[in-house]
Amino acid sequence: PRRGATGERWEAADAAAVPLLLPSAGCWIPSPAPQDILYRSSLCKKLRAGKSGATLDFARQLGHFFVDHPEDAFGSLGRLLHKNFYLGNSKLKRPARSSTIRMTALVEDIDRLEARRGCPRQHLASRLRWFSHLCRDWLFEVPLGLLADCLHEELMQQWSNLLFDDSLTGGALAWLPPENEGTPVGRLVHPGGQAMNHLYFQDVVLEELPRARGSPAQFELSGRVRQVAAARVDGEDFVGVRSDYHCGVWRVPGRTGSAPTPLQVIRTDVPASCLTVSPHLPGELSVCTQSGTVYLWSVEAGLQQLRHDPQTMFFRDHSPWRWSDFTAHPRVLSCADRTGLQCLDARAPKKCHFDLFKVGEEAGCQQGERVVLPMYLGRAHPSQYLVTTQFSVYVLDERLPLVPVLKWAHMMKAPPLFAHLMPGNPGRSHQVLLGASRTQELLLLQYRGGSQSACQLAGTPQKLHSIGGCLQHLPTQLPHRQHLLQQRLTAPAAGLAATLQEDGPHKSMLVFQLSEAGDVFCQRLTHKAAQSPAPPSRDEATTAPGSSPLFEAPASSPQGLGAAALRYRRWLRAFSRACREPPRHTWHPSLSQRRLFTRRDLQGPAGPSSLQRQMRQRLHQAMREGGRIQRWEPLAVQPPPLPQTLEPAGAPDPLSARLTAAWAGDW
Amino acid sequence: SSHEHKLNFRKSKEACLSYIQDALLQKQWKRAAEFLTCYVESLEKDYSREHVGPSEIIWRIGTEILWHHSQSSMKEFNCFMEQMKTLGVKRYLKVCLEHVFHLLCNGQIDEAYQNLSLAESWRFGEQTAIQDKEMKLVEAYRGLLDYYSWSKQKNILLEHSEDGFSDLAVEQEMHSYFRKAAVSLKEIIKIPGVWDVFVKCYVDLLEFYGDHNEARQVLNEYAYNSKFPANPNAHVYLYQFLKRQGESKKSLISALKILHDIVPSHELMIDFNTMLQKSKKRKKRRLGLEVIFAALDYAGWKEDAKAWSCLARQVKQIVISEKHLDWITQEWNSRKDWWPAFHFSRYLAKRNWQENKSLSYEKALVAGILLGKDCKYFKYVSHQGCKAQLKRFRMLKKFVNRHNSVYLRIS
Repeated sequence: PRRGATGERWEAADAAAVPLLLPSAGCWIPSPAPQDILYRSSLCKKLRAGKSGATLDFARQLGHFFVDHPEDAFGSLGRLLHKNFYLGNSKLKRPARSSTIRMTALVEDIDRLEARRGCPRQHLASRLRWFSHLCRDWLFEVPLGLLADCLHEELMQQWSNLLFDDSLTGGALAWLPPENEGTPVGRLVHPGGQAMNHLYFQDVVLEELPRARGSPAQFELSGRVRQVAAARVDGEDFVGVRSDYHCGVWRVPGRTGSAPTPLQVIRTDVPASCLTVSPHLPGELSVCTQSGTVYLWSVEAGLQQLRHDPQTMFFRDHSPWRWSDFTAHPRVLSCADRTGLQCLDARAPKKCHFDLFKVGEEAGCQQGERVVLPMYLGRAHPSQYLVTTQFSVYVLDERLPLVPVLKWAHMMKAPPLFAHLMPGNPGRSHQVLLGASRTQELLLLQYRGGSQSACQLAGTPQKLHSIGGCLQHLPTQLPHRQHLLQQRLTAPAAGLAATLQEDGPHKSMLVFQLSEAGDVFCQRLTHKAAQSPAPPSRDEATTAPGSSPLFEAPASSPQGLGAAALRYRRWLRAFSRACREPPRHTWHPSLSQRRLFTRRDLQGPAGPSSLQRQMRQRLHQAMREGGRIQRWEPLAVQPPPLPQTLEPAGAPDPLSARLTAAWAGDW
Repeated sequence: SSHEHKLNFRKSKEACLSYIQDALLQKQWKRAAEFLTCYVESLEKDYSREHVGPSEIIWRIGTEILWHHSQSSMKEFNCFMEQMKTLGVKRYLKVCLEHVFHLLCNGQIDEAYQNLSLAESWRFGEQTAIQDKEMKLVEAYRGLLDYYSWSKQKNILLEHSEDGFSDLAVEQEMHSYFRKAAVSLKEIIKIPGVWDVFVKCYVDLLEFYGDHNEARQVLNEYAYNSKFPANPNAHVYLYQFLKRQGESKKSLISALKILHDIVPSHELMIDFNTMLQKSKKRKKRRLGLEVIFAALDYAGWKEDAKAWSCLARQVKQIVISEKHLDWITQEWNSRKDWWPAFHFSRYLAKRNWQENKSLSYEKALVAGILLGKDCKYFKYVSHQGCKAQLKRFRMLKKFVNRHNSVYLRIS
């Protein structure tokens, strides 16, 4: 078996993860969901059933762009031509008619087109075709082809992000443990704010239920925080923060209460994909960009480029993702892409390098397997590394490269983007947490060995609570609020941190999880020392869906449950308060509906008109007879209504008089 | 339609699998077992061409559940394994091996041996390359068990011979175990791979019977054949063998030199350094300095008092003799931009002093020579040492002050 006999036994203290911080004020804007950018149509669904691959709703997005940014889309020509577009409902007067287009008619045509979407006998309205043919080339501020290309590219990008977003790799949550074991106050570093562009350093008191103390130190950054990495060197914490085009480093002195100081910021032309902090030397980090460049970044000495190669290392893979981490030797860095890992010496990066891991036969990889997250496990064993792929977890030893010392298929539904190591004391097992983003999965593994004995997993892997899992324990809300709550709680995870806490004989593990909405939840696992081989499965009953021990009266239970419920109640209250604020971003200041649509358009139909009633009857009749309707005009072909003759105000000129007579059929 | 039916079937299969997984990860073995019995239905229509088919999944998950389930017995487990063996012909040998490991974990060595012998005699169609390799593995593990019996007999014999009488039957039995073990172990280590256990056992057998040439050949092959992965243990075994044989210093050094090239951070580097320091040849002593500097580059050695004392001793020697100061200069040049922060920071001075006085003594000596008497580490430690009235720290201070010119010369 791949497992050692027994691992340590950890049991969840509560039935679900508990919120650590109150939700931030202001509504969270969820990132796009598949239904936002996919083409929705029954016809399309049928077509797609056979083939794989999604159809992106390109037209709708382009339409959104025109509506949201009219100035950018057709600002100058719009201003030039605005006299020639008429937005009212009434008929145009004579002199204006020759040079003005009535937009209402066009809008009606578009609506009609929209209503017939998916109809196989669809004809384009000639008026629309004529209009688009006429002004496609000059109406738009940005050439339409160019704009469409950009939009398409963006849509593809969004879609691939939805399938797998690797910009979050590493996670944006870090735990800075207390300097000496005595004080139970650590610090949590996490992003927040509506755009996740604020960085918070929050003091957290580790009690039965960890709680935030005081208000956090706060920094506003110029981009969404993708990753927060931290390492402790010489009693000081160094925190690296990565956003797409900027990376920054903060120093946090070990004493509690001392303020973090920003040290340096670098800007990259291409989005950075990785930032790791050296566990060996103060103020040293490694940075990778999507162009395939790896830098050693020292706060004192600046940037040193170690490698620049847009191609992947071992075989061709299209992903621009790169990663880099430190190794047992402070001058040797590992660098990774989807195909494997290499180690290179910063003193002679071109000459000195060796392969550490290769996706392929040596490691017994599956077809299509790719590296997702490499991590240096130096705190457990100086020469060990963790490599996760979408299928498996590997532990590698740099002394015996290419042949993994441990492999385990993790069976997670989404690839593990986050990992956290809690080293055990010598002879004890090390705890590794794996976290996925989209599905919020959390897995606890234990392994031991490496120096004296062979590396092996200890005990069985264990699933921990995800943020979304608490939903079933919460009291039922009003439907729309339930929906909002669900959306909020099942937002993809964005980070993972954990700490071990020893309090005399009691040992516990605290796991923090960050979601994309900026919520930080935490759960406590308690260590069970003595263990019978198979305890009665009490947990099977308590965690069954439906039951909610979290909210039961805490009469028989210890105070923890009550405190957790209280925490939840407070969080829910703050959440609903934040959601009640009118979502300002839906108002659009520059567009008034009154001018584009008449009141009659906005009114719902009072009832079927006589024409509609007539049509309906004909339809019924045709269906009864099994026949078909060739023409939609009423049976008795009425002559088309004559255009209303304009009553001239003054005396008509002779030509007009003659024409009027001719119109009336009076030759 | 049948297509739809297939699709729904696949969906429910996947759902079932995810339930099982969920239960497994929450250690709800009973629930997992119930779901697994439903999942067995998927065997009926196994159209999948996936990497891991349902039968393999059932085997793996079933094993896991039976291993942990409170009401399962070894008998049931064996029964399940037998069924799994017949389920997939291609997997037969793999399942056998896994079964054997489980038996061994439960201490049922005889049953394990029987299973391995059975598997050895199994034949199915034409052997593929993979099957061939798996068969070799099965044989090798059987050989390992033979080796185990052999060493048990050997111990009995040794005990008896101490008592002064010999047992012919036991001896003969032992020899037959040897023959069986040697034949199968020899086979597996011909294939490129990492076979540490097998090689060690095989060499032990050969050495016992005095076949040192064969043992040497095996170890050389294992260490130097380029088809095998670069395995530091191979060189360690070779070195240990040579040491047991009382080989010359020269061959020991050459074995360790290669180990140093592959893994500069290996534990044996301390031995290597001591060996080289004692050497009369200048080149070897030069290599010794390189070895100990390289070892101390690694985080794992950071707080190793022994390694630091090796370096301190050699550096001190060089400084006193005032010959070969350029060696130190050369080694120091590539390190002077990061060793001070890595090894000689004020924080580390404080901590080393608190935790390990002799480590801080050795480090302070090196720091004083490499960075001069004004370096933070040396200053802190010598100050603390003098304050605590420790004689050796006073001597240290004197020594560094006297040789401060060295620092100026190497920097």
